[in-house]
Amino acid sequence: MSTAVLTRLKEEYGAARAALPGSVIDAHRRSEAIETLCAQGLPTGREENWRYTNLRVLERARFTPAQASAEVLPTLPEPLTGFARYVFVAGRLRSLATAPHGVTVRSLLSGGPADGAWRIASELPEARLALLNEAFATDAACIEARPEADHAGIELVFLAAAGADSGASYPRVRLALGSGARLTVVERHIGVGEASSLVNSAVRVELGPNAHLTHYRLQQCAARTAWFDTLTAELAADARYDLLAVGTGALASRSTVHARLTGRAAQLTLSAAALGAAQQSQDMYALSEHLAARTSTVQTFRGIASDRSRVAFNGKIAVRAQAAGTDSRQSLRGLLAGAQAEIDLRPQLEIYTDEVRCSHGATAGKLDENMLFYLLSRGIAPELAQHLLKWAFLEDVVAKIELPQLRRQIEHGLAGQMSEAVALKELL
Amino acid sequence: MLTIENLHATVDGKEILKGLNLTVPEGEVHAVMGPNGSGKSTLAHVLAGRPGYAITAGTVRFKGRDLLALSPEERAREGLFLGFQYPVEIPGVNNVYLLKAAVNAARKHRGLAEVDAFEFLTLVRDKMRLMRMDESMLSRGVNEGFSGGEKKRNEILQMLVLEPSLAVLDETDSGLDIDALKVVASGVNTLRAPNRSLVLVTHYQRLLEHIVPDRVHVLVNGRIVRSGDRTLALELERRGYDWLIGEAA
Ligand SMILES: Nc1ncnc2c1ncn2[C@@H]1O[C@H](COP(=O)(O)OP(=O)(O)O)[C@@H](O)[C@H]1O
Ligand SMILES: [Mg+2]
Repeated sequence: MSTAVLTRLKEEYGAARAALPGSVIDAHRRSEAIETLCAQGLPTGREENWRYTNLRVLERARFTPAQASAEVLPTLPEPLTGFARYVFVAGRLRSLATAPHGVTVRSLLSGGPADGAWRIASELPEARLALLNEAFATDAACIEARPEADHAGIELVFLAAAGADSGASYPRVRLALGSGARLTVVERHIGVGEASSLVNSAVRVELGPNAHLTHYRLQQCAARTAWFDTLTAELAADARYDLLAVGTGALASRSTVHARLTGRAAQLTLSAAALGAAQQSQDMYALSEHLAARTSTVQTFRGIASDRSRVAFNGKIAVRAQAAGTDSRQSLRGLLAGAQAEIDLRPQLEIYTDEVRCSHGATAGKLDENMLFYLLSRGIAPELAQHLLKWAFLEDVVAKIELPQLRRQIEHGLAGQMSEAVALKELL
Repeated sequence: MLTIENLHATVDGKEILKGLNLTVPEGEVHAVMGPNGSGKSTLAHVLAGRPGYAITAGTVRFKGRDLLALSPEERAREGLFLGFQYPVEIPGVNNVYLLKAAVNAARKHRGLAEVDAFEFLTLVRDKMRLMRMDESMLSRGVNEGFSGGEKKRNEILQMLVLEPSLAVLDETDSGLDIDALKVVASGVNTLRAPNRSLVLVTHYQRLLEHIVPDRVHVLVNGRIVRSGDRTLALELERRGYDWLIGEAA
């Protein structure tokens, strides 16, 4: 990454800093974040775990936060029954709801006790774009579930600003679940318009003992958006984190997930599906770090690359010496659906103890010819047959969506991205 | 219904069908028998239009049209049905969805409106009862986790729902116990009609006790080397194929 970008980044920060809200992150920490990021440099394709990211878009990006314009909200997805919905426009809370029992939702911009101590960036170089968020964040959603929270539902909708010249948006979220709390969070990233803009999101998840978070993350940004996302999570003993991510939007999308399983018997399931079409790049790096005994990770990835797109998933499971009895499973699959498309799957295992059960598999290939012919031999049109098989390919992830209403929405989103397969509607 | 003349087909440069002639008139049931590796499945696949086969000579006419000029899906919509020897499992594609999409594709081809959802389900359920299939199979993936016998029954179910004019059933009897064989045979027999033809590809004559053919052909080394009435099947049962292999060489 050229130094020119860093110089511009510093300039933009210098110009914007006075207007950045101290209640969200204080000025000192913001400056520190910029310094650290500039010292480390922006990611480059020479780094192993950024190889498949489209980083060129960062060179063109404008980092200054977009103004919170009074623009009318586009049609938002149908609200999920039983969920409290919070809408953020250009990174600032726009509409409030009544939080469910046992849950507090605060916007740090609109006051309340300052809560700047939490950080999203870890020491991991892959997580350093969270520093960009730390420097520029315009608001932060702070969601705390107390032990009495039971099957509560929160929906966060992040709407990116329309145009490149209006600037970047910085969604920032903290999800903290107290001991035994249960919460479902649906996090949507959507955009309007065609113009390119930068979305740099940062999410921090903290799960207390025996807490259970079900977290759906849908990236449906506008067609020319660059989405750079960092999520770090810490799981205490017996905590359970079910994370399901579906990426269909943006021009360049990169998500870094760093989960630390620090408590005994903590469980993580990470299921991700990504669709790439046209010139899109969909890239995900997920590190699951096992730091306590009897912890488990189940990673499932299904990606389809069409046209000239690139879909990448780099999943690393690190089992530290103290994590005896760890169980990890990894199943990564990619489907190449375009002559010029690319799939890159990298399962990585790093084990420092003997007492583990780890299985992993990664396969990338084309549509199965036998399956295709079977469908054709029943009179099904080739386009529909291909769509059906792609659909079937995603099933391992889609089937894990437990909310029927959300599942329908996601299926419609996937069908839409898989293009105008009219007949697929019947399937839904 | 079906006229095959001097058909030559190769796979990976290796000639499998070597001048095959076969005529199946409307309303008739023909059996094609032959030893393993003689080219029976190749013939079935070539008729259905599976990619990977090169037709180096010959013609195939189906209902008066040049079959080989049609794509696989067009052949199906025109009323050709292939019952696979090894039906593939397609997890994630629902059985009932496949059935419905297949029926609607054929209807559209004939200029008809889409099938009524309720009537369709009633019809499918009827046929499933006939095939002694559990209704729960409908909501499962195509052949997903089905036993060998269940897969074969599912092939016949699809055939019964699609009502093709010509069905080519490739070793539909293999891997079936006697009860399942009877179920499959009775399913096939319900489809016998003056405007419909069947080609039963089989290795054994067992199936032909239940579905009595009008003609029996013996395929050896890529050619039909002998044709006769149903007594030919009994003769094959007694004598095996060796005497014909000798003749074909
Ligand atoms: N893909 C292939 N490549 C090369 N040879 C093949 C291929 N498929 C089938 N064959 C050969 O073609 C011959 C006929 O096979 P097949 O039609 O399956 O016979 P049958 O169904 O009568 O047992 C066999 O010798 C088989 O080995
Ligand atoms: Mg065969």
